Amino acid sequence: MSQQQKRRRYELDDRGFNEVPQKYRKYYRRREGPDDELAPNEILCPVCKIIVRSNRELRPGDRVYCMACLTRLRIAEGADGKLEAEVEY
Amino acid sequence: MTDFLKGYDIQYWLESTAQGYLENTEYGHLAGEREPDLLMEEDTFREESISTTVQLVMGERCALAASSGLINAAPDEASKRFLATQTLDEARHVEVFTQRLYDLGVKQNELEDVLNDRVDPNLVKFAEALLEKVDKKDFVAGVVGQNIVLEGMAFCVFEMLHESSVATNPKFAHILSGTIADERRHVGFGENRIGSLIQQHPERKADVEKLQKDMTYHMLATFGSQFTQGPSPEEVDKIMAKRGVEHSEAEWQGVKLNRASTEELEAVLSDTILKEFKVRLGRIGIEYQSPARP
Repeated sequence: MSQQQKRRRYELDDRGFNEVPQKYRKYYRRREGPDDELAPNEILCPVCKIIVRSNRELRPGDRVYCMACLTRLRIAEGADGKLEAEVEY
Repeated sequence: MTDFLKGYDIQYWLESTAQGYLENTEYGHLAGEREPDLLMEEDTFREESISTTVQLVMGERCALAASSGLINAAPDEASKRFLATQTLDEARHVEVFTQRLYDLGVKQNELEDVLNDRVDPNLVKFAEALLEKVDKKDFVAGVVGQNIVLEGMAFCVFEMLHESSVATNPKFAHILSGTIADERRHVGFGENRIGSLIQQHPERKADVEKLQKDMTYHMLATFGSQFTQGPSPEEVDKIMAKRGVEHSEAEWQGVKLNRASTEELEAVLSDTILKEFKVRLGRIGIEYQSPARP
């Protein structure tokens, strides 16, 4: 089974993020303080600090879009091994 | 160069703002919300709030003039339309913060005098420098000045003001949360627009670095001088004790906002504003240039 097939999938719920049109709201949430841990399907937008959520586990190389600040992001592995988002201009 | 704006249109803006976080608001806050009694009854607090709000009104007036002026300077249709929505965002900010001044007791016929008496001179100088670039239809300089320097720095300040208001002043916190939501798009536009420009035209890097150097001083000086205003923690303690009111425990970046000294606030803000600003510039491909005192 390839790595791609093993990705965990997530059922996204509306977390009250009302800064994008209704149908996209479940893909975003606000960060709730410094102790707020990101799930494997979530990434912090470095531009506007909103958490972008995917319905599948994120992997390096994936691309996501932060609608809150109109930024295209590519997922990369940071120096500490954690996933982080790099801006694609 | 404006691929990041592909999904952005007026419909998107309406569904996010008027039909999103601004739905059911009046002047940016929920109907019926008022400034807290403690703030309205204690002159020290009310005066401090007026002074802070004056800087917000004047900063937003500058952003309104700049974003509207930049529409005709923008070289592409997508940027023009984005700036048209930003113009209305900024006009709304001017309106909600001006309304807050009225709510704090400033009379309508005294508004301009209060603004002119209390505005930080550094903010005036920043606005003059930015609007000079806009008047010359220098689109890149205008976007660097407005969407990266002014809004990039203001973003951190709004977040701090929001955290310090959530428990003690929900009305102001609501006004700020709507403003912060708008700012996300504005800083995103600045970063993406200038980031793609530098990527495609690396020869413009030195030019943009010089703009950042020239335009940063007055903004940093504005934030610095604002923290020397207002009551000391001891004065605040005295007033709170007199009224038998507990401090709220609002915390931002590890600092207890309602008990912090001027030095602590200055330190945490310069740590966050400057740190975030340098990181933002680094992403765009710009090396932060320390501003010289003009």
